[in-house]
Amino acid sequence: MEKGKTYYPDFDVLDSVKEWDPVTADVVLKRLGPFPPLKFLTDEEESKLRVICKHLMYDNRDEIFDWVIHSIDARLNDKTGEYQRSSKAPPEHILVREGLKAINDLSRKLYDTDFLSIGVQEQFDIIASLQVGEAAQIPQWSQIPQKDLFDKLLILTVAPYYSHPTIWSEIGYGGPAHPRGYYRLEIGLADPWEAVRKREGNKGDDDGGE
Amino acid sequence: MENESYVKHNCDHYKDSRYDDLNHRKYGDKEVDVCIVGVGAAGGVLAYELSKAGLDVVGIEAGPFWDPQVDFASDELHAYRLNWQDTRLSDGNDALKFGPNNSGRGVGGGTTHFTGVFYRFHKSDFRTKSTDGVGEDWPITYEDLEPYYTKIENDIKVSGPKQFPWGPFNGPYPYPEREPISAWAQVFREGCEVLGIRSSVPPLAILSAPFDGRPPCTNRGFCNEGCKPNAKFSTLIHHVPKAIKYGAEIITDSMVTRILVDQDGKAQGVEFNHDGSYYLQKAKVVIVSAFAVETPRLLLNSACSQYPDGLANNSGLVGKYLMTHSGHDIFAKFDEEMRLYKGTPVMACTQDFYETDPDNDFLRGYTLNAHGDRPVALSKILTADAGYWGKDLREKMLDFNFYSQITMVGEVLPQKDNCVTLSDQKDEYGLPRPKVIFNYCENDNKMIEHGVEKANQIFKARGGKPTFVAADTGHLMGGCRMGDDPDNSVVNGYCQSHDISNLFVCDASVFTTSGGCNPTNTVLAIAARTADYIIQMGKKGEF
Ligand SMILES: Cc1cc2nc3c(=O)[nH]c(=O)nc-3n(C[C@H](O)[C@H](O)[C@H](O)COP(=O)(O)OP(=O)(O)OC[C@H]3O[C@@H](n4cnc5c(N)ncnc54)[C@H](O)[C@@H]3O)c2cc1C
Ligand code: SF4
Repeated sequence: MEKGKTYYPDFDVLDSVKEWDPVTADVVLKRLGPFPPLKFLTDEEESKLRVICKHLMYDNRDEIFDWVIHSIDARLNDKTGEYQRSSKAPPEHILVREGLKAINDLSRKLYDTDFLSIGVQEQFDIIASLQVGEAAQIPQWSQIPQKDLFDKLLILTVAPYYSHPTIWSEIGYGGPAHPRGYYRLEIGLADPWEAVRKREGNKGDDDGGE
Repeated sequence: MENESYVKHNCDHYKDSRYDDLNHRKYGDKEVDVCIVGVGAAGGVLAYELSKAGLDVVGIEAGPFWDPQVDFASDELHAYRLNWQDTRLSDGNDALKFGPNNSGRGVGGGTTHFTGVFYRFHKSDFRTKSTDGVGEDWPITYEDLEPYYTKIENDIKVSGPKQFPWGPFNGPYPYPEREPISAWAQVFREGCEVLGIRSSVPPLAILSAPFDGRPPCTNRGFCNEGCKPNAKFSTLIHHVPKAIKYGAEIITDSMVTRILVDQDGKAQGVEFNHDGSYYLQKAKVVIVSAFAVETPRLLLNSACSQYPDGLANNSGLVGKYLMTHSGHDIFAKFDEEMRLYKGTPVMACTQDFYETDPDNDFLRGYTLNAHGDRPVALSKILTADAGYWGKDLREKMLDFNFYSQITMVGEVLPQKDNCVTLSDQKDEYGLPRPKVIFNYCENDNKMIEHGVEKANQIFKARGGKPTFVAADTGHLMGGCRMGDDPDNSVVNGYCQSHDISNLFVCDASVFTTSGGCNPTNTVLAIAARTADYIIQMGKKGEF
């Protein structure tokens, strides 16, 4: 996604980092790397997962996915818990590991080659088929519910992705703001350090549905 | 060394007053008057009221004793640690999500990361069976709780409107309303105005002016991430430090694994696990305040020869009638910037659809809250709840600053089959994981349809363009409901087990019906009333 699509091409949320409390600043700046070696994912798993994450977020920038992958790896390595899962699904670290294998097997069945070697459209089609639970049959799906796999990959990706300060800048999010706070809240008002819209018009008026 | 921090001066972890190990327990093997399991919303109030009355109180909390300045960041991802992360098995057509969606962990429980919306229930909420023929009547009335609502609101200085249009209490609130309201709340109120729907700012457990050494809100919107400035109430910063001052001991990072009973079938204390080792705390009265999933789970896991089906479970209803609120999120896009991230997360509301309306095809009703949001929460709503990903998601998120959001809080009727049971999978303590089953009923679904439609009408009346709707839920209630009939409820109107007179269940799990608004003021009022009852029992020598 090129930067041109944002309303706020000039805005960088990190310009305010010195206004943030030190705990918050530390948490956010760590997302820019460098990252320690992965603990759970193997290299092979990492490269498949990275491609899937990019499709899911519709973005290609490796520096952002370095952080996303690091965050997913840390989560899968930490067995504290995953809040909930359906009683038919295995624990998340098994779901992801076996799920990545199954996605590769599916690619081999459909296209005779590994997931990483098929075209972008074919990769996309495989992911889309998981969301609706209609991927071509392979025996693994009895252990790895397709929708649970899709939902898990998506949720593991989206939270770190939208925690990256580059993405915050693009969507015009003003950031943590403690201890400074926000004071100009009403329609048409903004605090002086907030993002200023540069591209006019409310884009994508065709995509609303009722 | 005295800790100078205004909220922490009685609960310093490491300097002479509190310790992070269990070698310095205040009571050790001694039997105390009261042991509270879970120091969250209800547990915090109970610890405060009971220790203030001079009782020996120990509260045991599974999670940490948070220090807002060190442990909280103004960051959504970082705040996941405030949630109950342990895995629950979740099934049913409308399987519930837990963690950030409804369950807190650590001192303060859900109050450290709740939004602070602080309604009272309406009179009709306690009488749905008599007035509407659905649900069940509570054993208590609004009038029974009224003095406790007033007390809690005064104790914590709820900020609210001078005139609140709905329900039995119309203000004024102890502190003035928070102002100004954000753009996204402004368009909600303007849309309501066009349609002749009454709207108001909500009562909030968030300071609009300084109180008790704490500052007013700075509008940074991180209420669900733990309020670092301490402007938002939680039992962590209000009731618990005061309880410690009155002598209560709060043991943290300790999971209660079993409630123990003696030969006469009375509760005699609890067993808990700290860092892999097991300890006992003996008590004359045990109160379980572990929230709507862990409370029934602990009672079921405490089954023993006298009570093979679990404690307090002669009715067979422990874990049954679990409820949530239908919490659909409705979004519209505006031409002006709304900046959902600014301000406390709820700044305007309507309860015009709260009571049963004979013109509707459903009974009971709901609240609509104008709701703010931050990037992670919004992207999770779009993905996990509404199914967007890829290009669609990316484009919708680029419009982040142009959305306004309305969140429904709809009454969900109690159904016996919506329940917490024990599964055959084990957690790290070797205890069966809870399995939760949830399905909406027809009335719930019709109400949701109505609420979504109304929200979209409000947006359109103000020039907003309805853009997406996400199925969501909020809050948990029930699972150990209160009632007068021991065959049809788990505890009486004072939260006392029908079966074991020195065992109490006091938290959101005692709700008989869900009501159509955010529940925590009612949780705290019930806790304060239960505390009074236990204090009277003590005076009468009943324990
Ligand atoms: C994101 C979010 C926003 C919310 N916003 C609002 C709002 O605006 N308004 C409103 O009214 N309500 C809101 N709520 C709901 C509110 O948090 C709950 O209603 C309230 O916290 C319930 O109180 P409780 O005492 O029943 O349980 P909790 O506050 O959850 O306390 C239970 C405590 O028990 C501990 N525990 C559990 N099991 C054990 C065990 N075995 N041993 C030891 N300790 C244990 C837990 O760690 C926890 O601290 C919100 C909740 C969430 C998650
Ligand atoms: S919006 Fe106000 S109450 Fe909420 S976290 Fe920020 S300062 Fe605290």
